[in-house]
Amino acid sequence: MKSTLKDQVTTFLKETLARHGDLGEVQDNESLFLSGRLDSLSMLNLIMFLENNFSMNFAEIDFEVDLVDSIDSIICLIDR
Amino acid sequence: MQTQGGLVLAAALSVCALQTRLALWEAVLAVAAALLASRRPGWRTPVLLSATWLTAFLELGLGSSDTIGYLDPLLSLAALPTTMAVGIGTGMLMLVLALIVGGLHWIQTRPYAWVARQPFLALLLFEISLAGLANQTFMPALARLVLWSFIFSLMPYIWYLPAAITDLRAKGGDPIVTQVGTLRPFWSPAHVPFGKGAAFLRKHLARNPRELAITQLKALKLLLWANILIATRSGLTVIFEEYFRIPSVAGAMDAALNGQANFILLGWFALVLSTTKFSLQIAIWAHLFVGIARLAGYRLPRGCWRPLESRTLIEYFNRFHYYFKELLVDLFFLPTFMRAFRSRPRIRVFFATFMAAGVGNAVWHFMRDLNLVAELGFQSALKSFSSYAFYCLVLAIGISISQVRANAGYRPGNSLYARLFSFCSVWGFVVCLHAFSDGSRDHTLLERLSFIARLFGVSV
Repeated sequence: MKSTLKDQVTTFLKETLARHGDLGEVQDNESLFLSGRLDSLSMLNLIMFLENNFSMNFAEIDFEVDLVDSIDSIICLIDR
Repeated sequence: MQTQGGLVLAAALSVCALQTRLALWEAVLAVAAALLASRRPGWRTPVLLSATWLTAFLELGLGSSDTIGYLDPLLSLAALPTTMAVGIGTGMLMLVLALIVGGLHWIQTRPYAWVARQPFLALLLFEISLAGLANQTFMPALARLVLWSFIFSLMPYIWYLPAAITDLRAKGGDPIVTQVGTLRPFWSPAHVPFGKGAAFLRKHLARNPRELAITQLKALKLLLWANILIATRSGLTVIFEEYFRIPSVAGAMDAALNGQANFILLGWFALVLSTTKFSLQIAIWAHLFVGIARLAGYRLPRGCWRPLESRTLIEYFNRFHYYFKELLVDLFFLPTFMRAFRSRPRIRVFFATFMAAGVGNAVWHFMRDLNLVAELGFQSALKSFSSYAFYCLVLAIGISISQVRANAGYRPGNSLYARLFSFCSVWGFVVCLHAFSDGSRDHTLLERLSFIARLFGVSV
């Protein structure tokens, strides 16, 4: 179950990176937004993806970029 | 950079580069603090704290703080000598510092209080309530003076404190002393937080000597680049304003409204020149501020990054004034985006972008110029702000549409024609809109609308 979650998130992020012309590998603990690899527009798309696919409600979360900055942190957030 | 000789050279170059815009004491203090913080990691927090607040108090003491200029007319109204401004301003800044420290301690013990969860809203309401009270004519002149001086002293910090409070509540956030040291940090005593706050700075700190050396070399490059832009801006002034007598935007408006000969050509030249000079000014400040922060070892992104290459309005918004945009995103965009229109993606993106680029932009500028409420009264200040409010409205609609289009996958083409078209569209929009945002408040919104119409050959 967890690997499916992770696969979905990783696939979404890889597609987003590819749209930015970034075809490099993504490590699970690698910073994506704070490092500047992805921009704020990609963050909006990620939030909408998480809301639509994992029934998350970001209005109930004290949002910080750290929460969605890497694959590991996103999985932690979904598990919360 | 890591040798003594390299350090001395870097310090000398930085002071020279900064002195073109800052006072000598300010340049020396900023460079010394930045290099000391970078060389002595254990001293970083005390250096940040002392340099930041020393800069704030010295600015007041030497009369170069905005607060002094805001207090002078109020002192005259209260029939008091203007020499009192320094004393009142210093006293109020001490009070603000004490309240900030006390408030942050209080929040640390009550992290779920409403003020801790909604710090920006709480601060904004507090500041507006105080301004409303200070504007009441039944208040004695001295009481109004004291209230206004407190309001002016607190004002810049309402844009910094929300990030500090959020970090203080977060797991692994910095302690209060670090938060206080990064409020209007010594490298950018401005209303826009260049470097955002302690959390952002912590994440962007150079992690090893190699990264530090690269960051400091980039700092020098940025400071030198800022000086090239300063020279360019001065050159434009000499050539176009002094030699060719191109008027200011306000002057061009007068010419157009009075039907002066050649007003269309003059008007367009004035608009393009003023937009260019304004853009250069933003870039210069951003490069100087980020340059000093980089000298201190913070690997901060640039504050203004190749805005001429913007292909869309949302890209322009992101590139032109990065830290202002980040402030609007953090305080207006994200809170709206997380709560409003969650089931309607396009409206959701449009509305959140509009709240940031329009409402946030207008609120920030109105609060920055709150001294006009003290001088002119609320209604006159609001009236003089109508043209800037219109600017925010049109800019926000443009940026919001651009954001929705980007979100739907629209990307401009890469051909030469497509690039030229993007450049002309983005900068044509920015230049036309500049007629409503230039610094002077001498013309009404209708006069500005009439001016723009006349530049397009439509007589209104």
